Amino acid sequence: MLDRRVHFVIGKGGVGKTTVAAALALILARRGRRTLAVETEGHGRLAAILGAGSTGPQPVAVAPGLSVAAVDGRAALEEYLELVIPVRRLLRTIFASRIYQYFVAAAPGLKELMTVGKIWYEATREEAGQRAWDAVVVDAPATGHALQVLRMPQAARDTFGAGLVQREAARIVGFLRDPRATAVHLVTLAEEMPVSEALEAHAELTGPLGLPLGWVIVNRLHRRRFSPALLEALRAAAVAAPGEERALLAAVADRAQEEEGWAAINAQHLAALRAALPAAPFVELPFLFVEEFDRAALEQLAALLEAAIAPARARARRRS
Amino acid sequence: MTLAELVAGHRVVIAAGSGGVGKTTVAASIALWGALGGRRTVVLTIDPARRLAASLGLASLDAEPRDIPAAVFAAQGLRPRGTLAAMMLDQKGAWDALVERHAPAEARARILANPFYQHLSQTFAGSYEYVAIEQLCALAESGRWDLIVVDTPPTRHALDFLEAPRRLDDFLDRRIIRWFVRPYFSAGWSALRAVNRTAGFLLRRLEQATGLSALAEISDFFANMSGLFDNFHERIERATAILRGAETAFVVVTSPEEQVLGDAEYLSSKMAALAMPLRGVVMNRVHAEFRAAGRGRSGGDVGPEDVARVAAALDRALPGRAEEAAALARNFADYQALARGESLRIEHFAAGLPRRVPLVRVPNFPRDVHDLASLAAMHVHLFGAPAGSPGPPG
Repeated sequence: MLDRRVHFVIGKGGVGKTTVAAALALILARRGRRTLAVETEGHGRLAAILGAGSTGPQPVAVAPGLSVAAVDGRAALEEYLELVIPVRRLLRTIFASRIYQYFVAAAPGLKELMTVGKIWYEATREEAGQRAWDAVVVDAPATGHALQVLRMPQAARDTFGAGLVQREAARIVGFLRDPRATAVHLVTLAEEMPVSEALEAHAELTGPLGLPLGWVIVNRLHRRRFSPALLEALRAAAVAAPGEERALLAAVADRAQEEEGWAAINAQHLAALRAALPAAPFVELPFLFVEEFDRAALEQLAALLEAAIAPARARARRRS
Repeated sequence: MTLAELVAGHRVVIAAGSGGVGKTTVAASIALWGALGGRRTVVLTIDPARRLAASLGLASLDAEPRDIPAAVFAAQGLRPRGTLAAMMLDQKGAWDALVERHAPAEARARILANPFYQHLSQTFAGSYEYVAIEQLCALAESGRWDLIVVDTPPTRHALDFLEAPRRLDDFLDRRIIRWFVRPYFSAGWSALRAVNRTAGFLLRRLEQATGLSALAEISDFFANMSGLFDNFHERIERATAILRGAETAFVVVTSPEEQVLGDAEYLSSKMAALAMPLRGVVMNRVHAEFRAAGRGRSGGDVGPEDVARVAAALDRALPGRAEEAAALARNFADYQALARGESLRIEHFAAGLPRRVPLVRVPNFPRDVHDLASLAAMHVHLFGAPAGSPGPPG
């Protein structure tokens, strides 16, 4: 799986896509693969986590073998037109015209197409006879929009008549569907809404889109179990404890009950997800109790991800 | 001002914020509060979890508000003095509904079958947000409701919802449309080229570059919809007037997570610029921080240095169960760290809010909220403790 050239990390808003994408990029770079981490929504958060001040379309090196860049459909279109129409003065006129602005806004899916086109271009671009990047990790938009982006090359190939872009769209589709080149990782939480959205995305990815699924990454799992008997004993002890300790012990019991509650919810939805996707390679990541998601937290997540993908890889090898 | 006073004092409450923070649940809980307090309430919801939808009587997609039967309340021990209706927006059929409502009958079928329209209705960002606002206007203008609570679509950026009317207005700029409906467009490139060399050349290059050959379709689409667009501008003005009106309150729903809170901060700062009134903040999924009473200058913090004290107290409380006591102590310390980080971020966020904007904290319940009773259980956090609270309005 780690040998793929493009890794799309997708999932519902708020499930931790960006941090997982950052951890994956870090792992790849440390294995000696020249890696480009790409953000697609212009938040600058992926760049911030990886230690870059800001990002634009130009890759910024953040660590040995690791760069980060922002891909924006509109900017990618202008870059592309510069390749097709190499007359600077004419380009300036075009970009400034309202017809162009209108066209970009109205042309259905054009920005999505250019986003995925730019990612493909970076993944296959060569410099001085060798590939510019060994791996591209994409922090994709939230599921619905991410699927739209991934759908566009196919739509372009099928809808638009023969021509330059029809040919390029067909090449992009071929690349995206190649299980040696591409992996789409699905990040989710083991809760009701994220799981149902993940299942819908999975059906779309493996069905109509025909894209190679990577890992199903179940993030932020609560795991600690505290039995009702233990909690009962603790609560009884709290009531009997001297004044100062009473509130403290009650709070300890509250937190244990909270953790137990989430662990039960997570276990239930994780089991349902695994049952629904029996063949998918699962990666489970624990909830990180940190004050803020800083560099140390990223390192911790990367270590956990690295450990978690080892068994997933071993299972995948056994199957093949 | 409290959130209870805020909801009591406005007819339209809009829950804004980025996706995945529990907006739908908070909106439903606010609506339930209004209904319990005696108001004729409707909640416009977007994408509720299946079980919540079922408990709101939204088992199937429905464009009409449906009253929740009194028996459903009674079964959960609730006695509303008003009524609660719920309706759900159909994300996929949003544009179709607009066309059916506003397009002249003879043009409808042509519009719906137009390939450009089909692409547009699926991909144009903002159209869905616009439909939600349009629906809000219809509810507000019907005069049937004392309280309308709106759950906003899960947008990439929370701001998208607020900017949707203006963006759609720009998009449907009539001067541009007029340009596109000129006869030479549908006639094709050569005709266009004869009229306007630059435009013809430009569009031909764009078409080559992008593979779009939809020019005739675009032209045909606008020709069919031109009557509809005249209406749009006026409707957008009315929608904007409602959004900015004195009867409307925006409540930002957020969680204390770093990224989410960053989005909420940006949203709050932009609302003033858009003249959309931010009136309240619901901080959802907060982890409680334990602060011991009367511990002097340290302000009651229980920090990492207190772990030994906590462990000792647990050893005394659970004699002979050292392993479990250690696990409990570790779990407590972890939750304290989480809560401390959240406290700092919330404090920083609150400092940036305009004065008199209430911020309420809702704990991170370890359960799926999926029935009226669990929605009602949020009220103590949203609107104050039952004892000594001003009580439901009405």
